[in-house]
Amino acid sequence: MAIGTDRYASRADTLLFIGCVALSLAALSLPDQWRNPLAQGLRQTVLAPFLILQRQTELLAAARSRYDGVVAQRDSSALAATFLPELRSENTRLRGLLGLSSRLGGGYVSAEILHQPEPTNPLSFVVSAGRREGVRPLSAVVSPEGLVGLVATVDEHTSVVLSWAHPEFRASAIAVDGSVVGIAAPHGADGPGVWLLELQGVLYRQQVPTGTVIVTSGLGGVFPRGIPIGTVVGPAGEAKGWGRTYLVRPAVHPSALSHVMILTSPRPAGADLRGAFTAPDSASERPPQ
Amino acid sequence: MRRTDRYRYPVIMSLLVVLQFTVRSRLGGDRVAPDFLLLALLIYTIRAEPGRSAAGGFVVGLLRDALTPASFGAGALAHTLVGFFSSWAKAVFFAEHVFVKGCLFFAGTWLRNLIVLLASGRMQGSQLAWELLVWSPLQGLTTALVGIGVLWFFRGWLSPRRSVA
Repeated sequence: MAIGTDRYASRADTLLFIGCVALSLAALSLPDQWRNPLAQGLRQTVLAPFLILQRQTELLAAARSRYDGVVAQRDSSALAATFLPELRSENTRLRGLLGLSSRLGGGYVSAEILHQPEPTNPLSFVVSAGRREGVRPLSAVVSPEGLVGLVATVDEHTSVVLSWAHPEFRASAIAVDGSVVGIAAPHGADGPGVWLLELQGVLYRQQVPTGTVIVTSGLGGVFPRGIPIGTVVGPAGEAKGWGRTYLVRPAVHPSALSHVMILTSPRPAGADLRGAFTAPDSASERPPQ
Repeated sequence: MRRTDRYRYPVIMSLLVVLQFTVRSRLGGDRVAPDFLLLALLIYTIRAEPGRSAAGGFVVGLLRDALTPASFGAGALAHTLVGFFSSWAKAVFFAEHVFVKGCLFFAGTWLRNLIVLLASGRMQGSQLAWELLVWSPLQGLTTALVGIGVLWFFRGWLSPRRSVA
């Protein structure tokens, strides 16, 4: 219900209004030397608690903002610490690549793995080098530890690499001392030995001791001689026919790679790259993945 | 009149004053954020006599002028006029509808800004037009919205009651 009928401006209201207007006009016309002390007095007395409240609120907001920033920095640091072992591993690998590049001399292209293979499916991956960089199909893909695979298809700036785990991968292999010759191929597509290689076609009369380092033989012209493939860990089973098959622990696991080197130019006949790679013994110490 | 009525208005006014000095800076730009002090004055003028409303406006304006000494006195004049005419208009129009009160908050904010701008003489030309046609309506709108929200939230406290003669 409206109550306004008894609140029409009375004479007192009008006088009060006029007085307030007059005071306002007087305040408007105050000179600065009077105006500033008056405003300062109000700020230091009546408005002081409110200004303190406002300042505390601003401080609280700033503290909250800084807290959010600190939390973000802490989270970033924690995230960086999470990746620290991986970064160290990558750093070591890059240093190895640098060493390998100096030992190889030339005829290679460094590439970054764009599609890091899943740990359960490291069959093929894309690298950041293609036709423009001089990559050709069937080029050897290596890492400082040894053979990674070969280039399957080449695009303008990228290439698809088949790793040694791909079922179609084959490489002519030889023991590092030249005593045994065979064909390196992936052991299987499932089971516990999926990440192992086989050394097939070894003569029945030849025994390959465990720990023998297997390298590429250079036959066939795809892989230069001397790229480490892996280390023999034992026979693959009962001998069948006139040949033996041995299990080989690969020198490098594709899922652990971030950068590779692609050999682009053919090596001279008889060239041996064994001295360019790190000792496969270190690779053989790693448990199979 | 309930015994607690005399405490309810000061509580709401204090709440609005606290909001003015705490959350207003986080409600957008200074020219758009709702003016809680002016809203407190306008809510006060809904029930107060025009003379008291003018006095309240003068006090509020003078305190605001202390925070903006460059236009000292303009705020006092503006709030005095707005307080008086708001109370007078409320008495004349008998408006109890929430939309009418929202229009009162909007118009009061815009009129206050107009008087402050004219009395202080700080802005001229397009800048003055920009303030009066863009920013002041926006601030009036936000103030009106907040005012409607306050009236709705405290409708049990702020509902007018016929005074016993």
